[in-house]
Amino acid sequence: MAHKKNRNVGIIGIGQTKHSSHREDVNQPELIHEAVSLALKDANLTMKDIDCVVHGNMELFEMVHSPDLWHVLGTGAYGKDCIRITTGGTVGATLSCASDNLTASGMYDIVMAIGFEKLQEGHTTGGITNMADPLWFRKIQAGALTGSSAYDVEREFGLERANRASLTYRIIMDKHAGLNPNAHRAFGLDFNQIDDLIRTSPKLVGELKLIEMCSQSDGACCVIFACEKKAKEISKTPVWIRDHITVHKEETFSIFGYNREFPVMKTHKFAAEQLFKRNGIKDPLNYFDVFEMYDPASWWAIDWLRDFFDLKGDEHLKLIENKEIMIGGKLPINPSGGVIGSNPIGATALIRVAEAAMQVRGNAGPHQIPTPVNHALASGFGGTMWTVMTMLEKELNW
Amino acid sequence: MAEYWDIKVEDIFNSMQERFRPDGAKDVDAVFGYDILDEGKWKLTVKNNEMKLSKTDDLSGCISTMKADGETFVGVNTGKVDATNAFMSGKVKVEGDMGAFGKTGKLFRKYIIAKKEMTVKEYLADMFATIVPRFKAKEAEGLDAAFAFDLGGPQGGKWTVFIKDKVCTVTTEIEGSPTVTLEFNDAKDYVDFILGKIDAQSILAAGKAAAKGDINMMASKWPILFEKYKDPMGGNVQEQELLVLKKTIAVNQKFSTGPIMGKFLKGLKDKKIYANKCPKCGRLQLPPREVCAECRVRAADFLEVGPKGEVRYMDVVFYAMPDPLTGVARETPYGSINILLDGCKGNETLPHFIRKDQIEKIKSGWNEKKGTRVRPVWEENRIGDIWDIKYFEIDE
Repeated sequence: MAHKKNRNVGIIGIGQTKHSSHREDVNQPELIHEAVSLALKDANLTMKDIDCVVHGNMELFEMVHSPDLWHVLGTGAYGKDCIRITTGGTVGATLSCASDNLTASGMYDIVMAIGFEKLQEGHTTGGITNMADPLWFRKIQAGALTGSSAYDVEREFGLERANRASLTYRIIMDKHAGLNPNAHRAFGLDFNQIDDLIRTSPKLVGELKLIEMCSQSDGACCVIFACEKKAKEISKTPVWIRDHITVHKEETFSIFGYNREFPVMKTHKFAAEQLFKRNGIKDPLNYFDVFEMYDPASWWAIDWLRDFFDLKGDEHLKLIENKEIMIGGKLPINPSGGVIGSNPIGATALIRVAEAAMQVRGNAGPHQIPTPVNHALASGFGGTMWTVMTMLEKELNW
Repeated sequence: MAEYWDIKVEDIFNSMQERFRPDGAKDVDAVFGYDILDEGKWKLTVKNNEMKLSKTDDLSGCISTMKADGETFVGVNTGKVDATNAFMSGKVKVEGDMGAFGKTGKLFRKYIIAKKEMTVKEYLADMFATIVPRFKAKEAEGLDAAFAFDLGGPQGGKWTVFIKDKVCTVTTEIEGSPTVTLEFNDAKDYVDFILGKIDAQSILAAGKAAAKGDINMMASKWPILFEKYKDPMGGNVQEQELLVLKKTIAVNQKFSTGPIMGKFLKGLKDKKIYANKCPKCGRLQLPPREVCAECRVRAADFLEVGPKGEVRYMDVVFYAMPDPLTGVARETPYGSINILLDGCKGNETLPHFIRKDQIEKIKSGWNEKKGTRVRPVWEENRIGDIWDIKYFEIDE
């Protein structure tokens, strides 16, 4: 059974900025205002129609306490109910969950979620390291970088196949980002560059290379949610939120025991199993038409595919090697170019929901999947292995 | 020379001296090369907080050389092109010492795109060329008039604007007998008047201009018949230089350990490593935590483990990450290891660092394979901190 809702909720407005490392032309409220204006225009609403604003980004990445106060100039929340949410990398996905819950509960009819980050203005690794337990771990951790996924894949499938799968995934993301006018990074990479990139791209940690890591972007995303009645009145193409799930885990990083008799709880796998089971989805790989995945690096992405879809053996690598995850393939992943393409962190997981919803509406733009999109999945990732997943539907018929 | 966004490659180089920031040149003593495709080569010498630029054919002796095409070079310097993207995709290449080249980023203020000046002649041409598009036909019902302009000075000229049958035409001479003729001694005054820089009264009073014929027709009808002239230079204001304010925060913090973590840290002082045990599932927690997160019960039983153990996983970190606690970049590469201390099992590993010169020798372990054995190297003066262990080293 999906989790209980008093009423259905639909996405009726989406706006996002161009994501970039060069937004010195605007301050934080101004950047947010760009996304808010675009979402209001998309929904054909004004700020008067918004009952509640849900604001979120990474805590202390820009070293501003209660940024929702300063940002009120851009969010339009002055004199309105405004809730601030900050849950790390998942914050964008949590904004979506919270907006869905606030609307479904009957408390508000129309809720606006705003995710934001200006990574050029703060210190990302400083922010992430400050998440670690200050009593001991803060001193010895290395930000968000680890080569452990690369190590895992490499150990199981051999270095060459693992490296090639990771780079194939990376280049597919670059090709998708090239189609998305809002993407931060699109280099115009091609598959014949795989060997070259494996050789020349600087290593960050272990086999994790610079080209495989996500960007650090400035950007904002705004999504407007409405109850079923309002959504049908306001929008011709509301996108319905079917269900969402959040799975947290202990914050400790001690997850590298590498002993099969003591499996580590993997939140992606756990969350996906619960979500699909309670919604009666037996074959998620066939059910979904698109998946917007939070992919911080190509190594993690190829490893996680197996967890999300409960794939056996090397099925996940074959999906990548056969380019089934490209636009036009069996299950297109991140037509937007994903997190590797654009990563304004506080907005990133909300962009996953927004991009998935745009695919369902059929008006994503040059990166629209050519075949009909009726069922979409979005994921968020953060903290130390936390997961948020969101299911979107075109029709209210489940 | 090609122009990009109205800027030549030469403009960027020619303005370098003016944009030079001695502050950013502290500790820089180097020669940098620029090789711009189809445009030429430049050599930039920076020494003693001063710079010298020369166009050259010979870039030998440069510590690093930037190669790009003209469009990319202008784009990166004016913020029209993302520098990181240009570099990653190979549009900008740096040969030689990459680290040294990074310092050039601080040497110059950003290039501000200056708008060009328009001459009086260009303004007059533009003003009369836009007369017809600015004409509001519906305001000209029943009007039959000719407005003549006789504007003197070296850049001046003559124009007549005819309005008849709700149609407006312009000629570049004065024909027939105009309804009203406006004469300016200097065409520049007319341009300034239209741009709103001076007012008509003062020009007329000073005898710099005169109107002949039906002055009322000019005064009352002209402003209604035509939309106001818009200055294509927008007042010729330079594009605003956008400022970025830089702040550095340093704060003192203190954190209470509580009794459980306190016991672990106190143990380090005595060269002992303590884990605690969940009374329900029996797993060890290292470092000790107040409760077992899985069983949600208090865990107060302690057990000494290690201090030797086996490496189960090592991250070799190449990226020079600045330590957020000190701002100093950690020396790379370094090995971040997860150790299964003797007495622990499964995932009960402790993260720490390996001795720098031993990274190459470390083997990670799993079910079928033992990892490298390691032992802690203790600090002489221990204060109850994770860094009381300097690092681990191979135990053989």
